[in-house]
Amino acid sequence: MQESAELHDLSDDSDYAASQQQQQQELRSVVRTDSGKKIVESESEGAEVVFLKDNVTIHPTQFASERISGRLRLIKQASSLFMTWIPYKERADSVGAVTEKDRNLYTIRAVPVTDIRSIRRHTPTFGWQYLIIVLSSGLAFPPLYFYNGGVREFLATLKQHVFLVRSADDVNVFLVNDFQDPLQKSLSSLELPGAVSIANSSSTPTFANSVPPNENFEGADVGTSSTSQYGGRHGLKVNDPARDLSIQVLEKFSLVTKFARLTTSNILREIQNDGFLANDRKKPSQSLPVNNHETGLDEVQSVPDTISVTPDPLEIFIVWTSIEGLSDAELCPVKQKALCRKENQGEEAATRVGTFELVDCKEFDKITLVWGQPRQPPLGSEEWATFLDAEGRVTDSKALRKRIFYGGLEQQIRNEVWKFLLGYHEYDSTGAEREYLASVKKVEYETLKYQWQSVSPAQSRRFTKFRERKGLIDKDVVRTDRSSSFYDGDDNPNVILLRDILLTYSFYNFDLGYCQGMSDLLSPILYVMKDESESFWCFVALMERLGPNFNRDQNGMHSQLFALSKLVELLDSPLHNYFRQNDCLNYFFCFRWVLIQFKREFDFEKMMRLWEVLWTHYQSEHFHLYVCVAILKKHGKKIMGEEMDFDTLLKFINELSGQIDLDATLRDAEALCICAGENGEACIPPGTPPSLPVEADLLYPLQDDTDT
Amino acid sequence: MSYAYLFKYIIIGDTGVGKSCLLLQFTDKRFQPVHDLTIGVEFGARMITIDNKPIKLQIWDTAGQESFRSITRSYYRGAAGALLVYDITRQRETFNHLASWLEDARQHANANMTIMLIGNKCDLAHRRAVSTEEGEQFAKEHGLIFMEASAKTAQNVEEAFISTAATIYKKIQDGVFDVSNESYGIKVGYGGIPGPSGGRDGSASQAGGCCS
Ligand SMILES: Nc1nc2c(ncn2[C@@H]2O[C@H](COP(=O)(O)OP(=O)(O)O)[C@@H](O)[C@H]2O)c(=O)[nH]1
Ligand SMILES: [Mg+2]
Repeated sequence: MQESAELHDLSDDSDYAASQQQQQQELRSVVRTDSGKKIVESESEGAEVVFLKDNVTIHPTQFASERISGRLRLIKQASSLFMTWIPYKERADSVGAVTEKDRNLYTIRAVPVTDIRSIRRHTPTFGWQYLIIVLSSGLAFPPLYFYNGGVREFLATLKQHVFLVRSADDVNVFLVNDFQDPLQKSLSSLELPGAVSIANSSSTPTFANSVPPNENFEGADVGTSSTSQYGGRHGLKVNDPARDLSIQVLEKFSLVTKFARLTTSNILREIQNDGFLANDRKKPSQSLPVNNHETGLDEVQSVPDTISVTPDPLEIFIVWTSIEGLSDAELCPVKQKALCRKENQGEEAATRVGTFELVDCKEFDKITLVWGQPRQPPLGSEEWATFLDAEGRVTDSKALRKRIFYGGLEQQIRNEVWKFLLGYHEYDSTGAEREYLASVKKVEYETLKYQWQSVSPAQSRRFTKFRERKGLIDKDVVRTDRSSSFYDGDDNPNVILLRDILLTYSFYNFDLGYCQGMSDLLSPILYVMKDESESFWCFVALMERLGPNFNRDQNGMHSQLFALSKLVELLDSPLHNYFRQNDCLNYFFCFRWVLIQFKREFDFEKMMRLWEVLWTHYQSEHFHLYVCVAILKKHGKKIMGEEMDFDTLLKFINELSGQIDLDATLRDAEALCICAGENGEACIPPGTPPSLPVEADLLYPLQDDTDT
Repeated sequence: MSYAYLFKYIIIGDTGVGKSCLLLQFTDKRFQPVHDLTIGVEFGARMITIDNKPIKLQIWDTAGQESFRSITRSYYRGAAGALLVYDITRQRETFNHLASWLEDARQHANANMTIMLIGNKCDLAHRRAVSTEEGEQFAKEHGLIFMEASAKTAQNVEEAFISTAATIYKKIQDGVFDVSNESYGIKVGYGGIPGPSGGRDGSASQAGGCCS
């Protein structure tokens, strides 16, 4: 009876009854007149139109003249259901803004409904209801606007033939194939970069793989356009001098493409009415500035109307499909077309997808892309309170981590929230429990601290390891962030606190001891926490994850740099090849980035922002590696163009310090992380920091830490 | 700035001996006791003149802690000169480690690398733990140039860097290096001996990039 309940639910739709009637009339009319001949033919092969809707339209651009209307049908053949959307033939009197090519491009030819993963229904306040249909491959069709209504009965019809359920997360999402984790599912099906493979296959599954159940269903409306156009369009000639350029372009767009596919599927997963989505709408200009100054393309003459669009997935989709269908000579017009699409910001989709920029139309190899979701304003104390229940538990830690991932924290709540992010506090602890914990932990800290405080001079003389450690720490705390007012000046008590905490830690974790870089990690924590014991325990929590960075044998560092090299291989194979050829595969030039989590690459505030984003582990536990990839990728052209050798590269990377645009980098890193998906995670061996060690026992294999 | 030659230097030695201070004193002519400890590697550069030839020193300042040795080793590649620094006030810790630093250098740098041994912090004479003679003796045994210096007072800092360069320059004139082979840590710039790599990295005003 659930079904009828659902159907009943559908009838709350104002136009449901009417459209239901309409549908039936249409169906009858179809059978009787319009497609009567076809049905007769197809019936012989067992095909039956179970749903038909005219004036279902796509909006490739913001220009009304470029909209393409067509007929949407569900066709049943044997026990399978197929969906088709065939654009109407151009009328003789039309202005001709839409080319035949465009029409063919968007035609949906008999997609098996089992290939559909989910359908999102959009009901704008103004305008037509539309659906975004996402395939199992992760690719989405352009939004289908139902000019004549009919969304509800489309869904109702589907429901009669396939297993259709509403998403638990979002009433507007209907899952056709209810996978455990739709995003993961789609990611696993993604291919990885490599322009040629993209050109060969990336789009074909969409159209060509779906064999029309009956050729008769096309053609009548759109003439003789055929799938061969999709199958045979990649005419890259082997000896074509422009081929390399074209491949570069394709490679760039391939990432956009994948991102587009993913974001469209993301859209389905996002809760549309997120609190901060509203912010986006209020400040559309936030995503507009073009980051020319940090793209490394200062020297490039940007086109005056350099744009930053927040396209909906459709737009990216268009760019991608268009560009694949064109020869090199035709690329530029397509580019122009892409540039034209700047104002088309469909309200829902736009904010969820992010930004991409096309800089300099004239030179394709200067295209730069910035993508990923726009950053949000930091989480403030008022909003933070909404994440807590009456007893002070964090009710939805995932939502919290997500919120911080996209916006970070305001300084005044960092001391509270970092404790959760670092794992010192449990999300489901109550405020009272945490207060109690703090007092217990304070006593414990004092006990630990007393261990070294009670070492007498006589004992110290016989305790070389202690003396060395203390000496090292004494030397380093006076060389840690002394230019910040919190640590500056002679006899600054905060410097003493740094010393005490590090020394206490070296007793708490005597096997690991002290290693340079730890003071860099502790300094911001103490700055935020102010309290000695709380800082210590937060540092302990952080070192649970980052401790292996400081292993004597450097295995934690090596495993991360190794994973990084694999990720670059995956996400930027030209750069990887370049590093390989130039003996740079040890990635030592990223050593400082990884060792101390980019501590030295940003100003203090930005660095804290980055840390809290990393600590959410929202997109990946190893998001820091994607940040590395994002930065490297951004400068890859320069690195390769200037043929940097290891030394030059090291110096170049070092000198990026203070030059990196954090927000843009985070967005790129997010996009790369999503693009890489499971394949990215597969690059990262289990136990790679900051993952918790696979076997806790073997955390710090005994090591002799005398400096000899 | 164009140069006749570019020499790559690397500064090595235990942490806290004053490597970064020496570099800063040489490049910026100032002593800054308050600065951040070195993670990985940092760079400095300065032009000097030897035999009326402009020579650019590109100096790599490394992290000294034992844990980072494996990464420090990768920096030796292609260094023409090394400054091996110890702290004259810390006999046991820093002077005794010289042998192992030297071993690293010999193993990972090219055989003709010029090594200068520097006993730093000689302004702290009252806390001296390593005598000048000990330093001289060690240098002699291992074929190093030796100097005591102070990054704080700048005593002998110029001299240390420049006499290292002069030694390298002499080796060039003596034909010890094939200067066109950059693995020796020497690049030939404008006005130097023209070679296959002549002019490369020669000047900031060099237009565009070549596209081979
Ligand atoms: N008195 C004195 N102190 C020095 C001298 N050189 C360095 N220092 C101090 O020694 C400490 C370590 O110096 P630093 O250059 O950071 O050592 P590094 O680890 O070898 O790079 C700093 O706090 C400096 O103040 C020197 O020539 N004289
Ligand atoms: Mg240093």
